[in-house]
Amino acid sequence: MPHPIRRLCLSLLLVLSAHVAHAAGDVLRVAVLSASPPVSYIDGNGKLAGFNIDIAHALCEAMEVRCELRVSTLDKVVDAVAAGEYDIAVVSLLATPERRRKVLFSKPYYRSTSVWFAPAKTAPETPGVRVAAVRGSAQAAYAQARGWTVVPMHSHDEMSQALASAAADAALVPMLTALALRQHPAVAGLGLTTTVLADAALSGDVCISIAPQHPALRTRVDAAIDRIKRDGRYDRINTQHLPFKLQ
Amino acid sequence: MPLPQRLNRAHWPAGTFFALLAGLFGALFAGIVAWLAADQYGVLQTTESLRLKTIPQTLEYQRLARNLEVLRREGERVLHGDDAAARQQALFVVSLVASHPRLLEDERARALAGETEEFLSGMARGTHFDAAEQAHWERLSTRLTLLADDISVDGVNLANADLEQMSAAIQSGRYKLAVALLLAGVFLTVLLWLIRRHFIRPLQHIDRALSQLQPMGPPPALPASSMEEFQAIEGAIGQLHEAMRDSELTREDLERLATTDALTGLHNRRHFMHMAHGEVERAHRYGRPVAVGLADLDLFKRVNDTHGHAAGDAVLQVFAAILRETLRQTDWVCRYGGEEFAFAFPETTPTEAQALVERLRRRLAELDIAIGEGKRVRITLSIGLADASACPLEAALRQADEALYRAKTQGRNMTVLAGSDAGDEAEIDAEAEPVAPRS
Repeated sequence: MPHPIRRLCLSLLLVLSAHVAHAAGDVLRVAVLSASPPVSYIDGNGKLAGFNIDIAHALCEAMEVRCELRVSTLDKVVDAVAAGEYDIAVVSLLATPERRRKVLFSKPYYRSTSVWFAPAKTAPETPGVRVAAVRGSAQAAYAQARGWTVVPMHSHDEMSQALASAAADAALVPMLTALALRQHPAVAGLGLTTTVLADAALSGDVCISIAPQHPALRTRVDAAIDRIKRDGRYDRINTQHLPFKLQ
Repeated sequence: MPLPQRLNRAHWPAGTFFALLAGLFGALFAGIVAWLAADQYGVLQTTESLRLKTIPQTLEYQRLARNLEVLRREGERVLHGDDAAARQQALFVVSLVASHPRLLEDERARALAGETEEFLSGMARGTHFDAAEQAHWERLSTRLTLLADDISVDGVNLANADLEQMSAAIQSGRYKLAVALLLAGVFLTVLLWLIRRHFIRPLQHIDRALSQLQPMGPPPALPASSMEEFQAIEGAIGQLHEAMRDSELTREDLERLATTDALTGLHNRRHFMHMAHGEVERAHRYGRPVAVGLADLDLFKRVNDTHGHAAGDAVLQVFAAILRETLRQTDWVCRYGGEEFAFAFPETTPTEAQALVERLRRRLAELDIAIGEGKRVRITLSIGLADASACPLEAALRQADEALYRAKTQGRNMTVLAGSDAGDEAEIDAEAEPVAPRS
């Protein structure tokens, strides 16, 4: 074989192998929360667990990519995804118009409502009521917009303490978080009641957020959602973590 | 060739004809393929819709049905839970499910879930739970299960519309395929018929016409063909027939010119020699008799000198006519030289030949020959005969020549048989003036 051709073949081979290596090493950076039971939390073994964690793994399997789960917080995750620090975020984000301006959203993987969690006499519009809401959450944005006094929380985990210590009179949380919060030992004895709030700003489509730098990823995530819903993985995960079917 | 009639007939170039036919079939086939493809596309579309839309919807219906069961299960917990916390949690789940947007979208589910939540909330607030309430819950419970069944079945039935649509498309595809096959069959039959009618049969006619083509036969009878190429061949066959007939006529003319003497119409010497050779050889081979002879018009030169060559020619022509009348079909005669004639008599002994030529001699001697301008002459004939059954033609002719010479020397107007002592005495007509020559 003449030298130029051999060199060409060799370089082609190198390029190809490099490409394959890159494809194999293609890791999706997935943002998740760690203090939002029962969807995302650290279990007794110190490992990430919950509905969203399993969904994230299932989606990565369906997309046939290796995923690296990275813990973030609700107040930072949207901007981080927007900045491309994460490729996707499997955080139960309501697809609000404000967030849509920053990141791409997949098709909804379920629909959510919010829950007002407070003593029976404390209705949502009671003047002067201090409402605990997680920083960066749609609930916090809603409370602020309504002019309520917001007690900002770092995570849903902190809420039980805030309620127990009377740092807050009420909590405004997503429906799945409310499931865990209600049962937290610290608040179980407070005799708080729950009211489902179906206001448009507090309910609706929950989506995977995708870095706007990777628009092609959205199609793959959508297809993966369809796939895990069709092949039953979604329902199994749902049943494992939650007492009813997400829709 | 009836050319004008040809021009009036339909005529197609075969290439154009078949290109048109192929184009027609191609268009037909493409149409059918498109027709079938439309159905297949429909099936694919429906399959895609079934996979991407209907099945996910069905699964959503199943989840809704399952949530109705969740309402029932959690309701049981609200009513019969171990402790207050568990009962409150169960009631919370009930309220979450009952206020979920998806459930609210379904009228039946919304009404029943609302009723259930209301009942359970009342129970949780501490309304007395007695047998009547238990019966009420059992009815609610049954209705929840029944509605779950209904919604579950509704979800499955969503696929029915798609399946029916698909089945209809496949059925229609089957019909279309049958029609397509039928059309292809009809087209093929028509094509074969056209090929047979316009190609094979004209070819068969041409083959027959060519094999039966005779130069002097009737012109080839070819039925009208519709293809230009065949019409050209048919025309060419007609022309070929004409050319063959022309050349045959020419050949016959040439043969006659080559074998006959122009003045008398008798065979010429060359042709006679050729034929006489054949007769002599045949006679030798089969041991049959054959006789030859030479004859010379007596004093013919004098007729020429006295009355001119035209008169001489007339005499020769009259003599030739007498020859033709007197001799038999099988006898050969030719103008051997100026006024000299040769004979060959197949199957004839010299004696029989002598009788024959004697008749000839006498007829000539008795005839007044008109030579124009009202003049008539008489002329006599001297003949030498020889037997050729045992010697070559040339030798026999030599003998006949010697016999002729003897006839001349012995007074003319007589027949001398070679090998005999003397010839028959001629009957001389002394009144044969003005030309009764005697040399």
